[in-house]
Amino acid sequence: MEANQQGVRVAIFFCRQLDPDQDTHRRLLEKELGPRIRFFPLPCSGRIDPLHFLKALETGSDKVYLIACPEGACRYGQGNVRARKRLSYARGLIEEIGFAPESFELIYAAGPLPVSIDTLSRQLLGLGPARSPAVRQAPGSPAIPEKKGETVAVKHE
Amino acid sequence: MISAERKPFGEIKASIRPHRKILMVGCATCVAECAAGGEKEVGLLASQLRLDAVKEGREIEIKEMTLDRQCVYEFIDQVTPVADQYDVILSLGCGAGVQAMAEVLPKIHIVPALNTTSIAETREAGVWLEDCRGCGDCKLDYFADICPVTRCAKGLFNGPCGGSKEGRCEADPDAQCAWQLIITRLEETGRTASMDEVYPPANWARKQGKGPRKIVREDQRA
Repeated sequence: MEANQQGVRVAIFFCRQLDPDQDTHRRLLEKELGPRIRFFPLPCSGRIDPLHFLKALETGSDKVYLIACPEGACRYGQGNVRARKRLSYARGLIEEIGFAPESFELIYAAGPLPVSIDTLSRQLLGLGPARSPAVRQAPGSPAIPEKKGETVAVKHE
Repeated sequence: MISAERKPFGEIKASIRPHRKILMVGCATCVAECAAGGEKEVGLLASQLRLDAVKEGREIEIKEMTLDRQCVYEFIDQVTPVADQYDVILSLGCGAGVQAMAEVLPKIHIVPALNTTSIAETREAGVWLEDCRGCGDCKLDYFADICPVTRCAKGLFNGPCGGSKEGRCEADPDAQCAWQLIITRLEETGRTASMDEVYPPANWARKQGKGPRKIVREDQRA
């Protein structure tokens, strides 16, 4: 990612169980925002490793989200519980070097599944609804604005 | 396995501070099992060091390597051809690994990134329990395969001390009473008669007092 682009650069790791059509849905934002957003689907949020968080930060993301299934709704039982522990460890590692622990954030999706990863991400980032996928992205795509405390259907950890 | 923990980041950073080109060498055996010095931990520490350097506006170059066994010269040979291209080697091996590399690479500065702690077993995911002190005079057969030297806070050969409460050690309530475990296991394996024995002290000369212990096997030598 290029450091001189405006706006916050974001990496979003998420559980694939949230959205069976994630492959299509995540491409909407990827096309809209280009390299300022990166999605990383995981088979389960429990697959996350502290190294994923650090590598995302190291390779240019300002903020790294992990979106997990609602508490108690992990298909594999405890994946989203383990995710919280991994987040905690990763936060400790960046705190040691003076970064804000909030650079890594765990989000529990709310409500019944499935949910569109596009909708979830837009809510999370305070973006407007998706454009038609048929519309081609114009050069100079918009920056991701700083989130301004909107009500979103997600639960921050 | 040998268990270890990573040193605090500040201590590692201070050790390598003057250097710009760093070769990080992990070990894929014991310290990988205890999540202290395997390939993943090498990656995490390298990432931390790089982020820290960027934050402070310093240039740093890190090469990551993980050897199958850092305490065996044949594996260290993978490091030898590249070692002199770096200012320092940051080892994520145990104390034996660090010293083995120092033996093979006499002119290279090697810095340990781990504190080696014990000989341990993986009790459960994320939990490693010390259960051997390497005393050199193993009496596990007498004690139902539970080492009183290591796991009894008082190291009693002729226990129990009487201070345990609900199976927990009076010195450390987090620890199970080793003698409770020994007696339970002797009962379960039909060997309670051995509780009547009085065991003499071990031969501690095998553990310490003459410098580093060494095993020599002529049949294994080149």
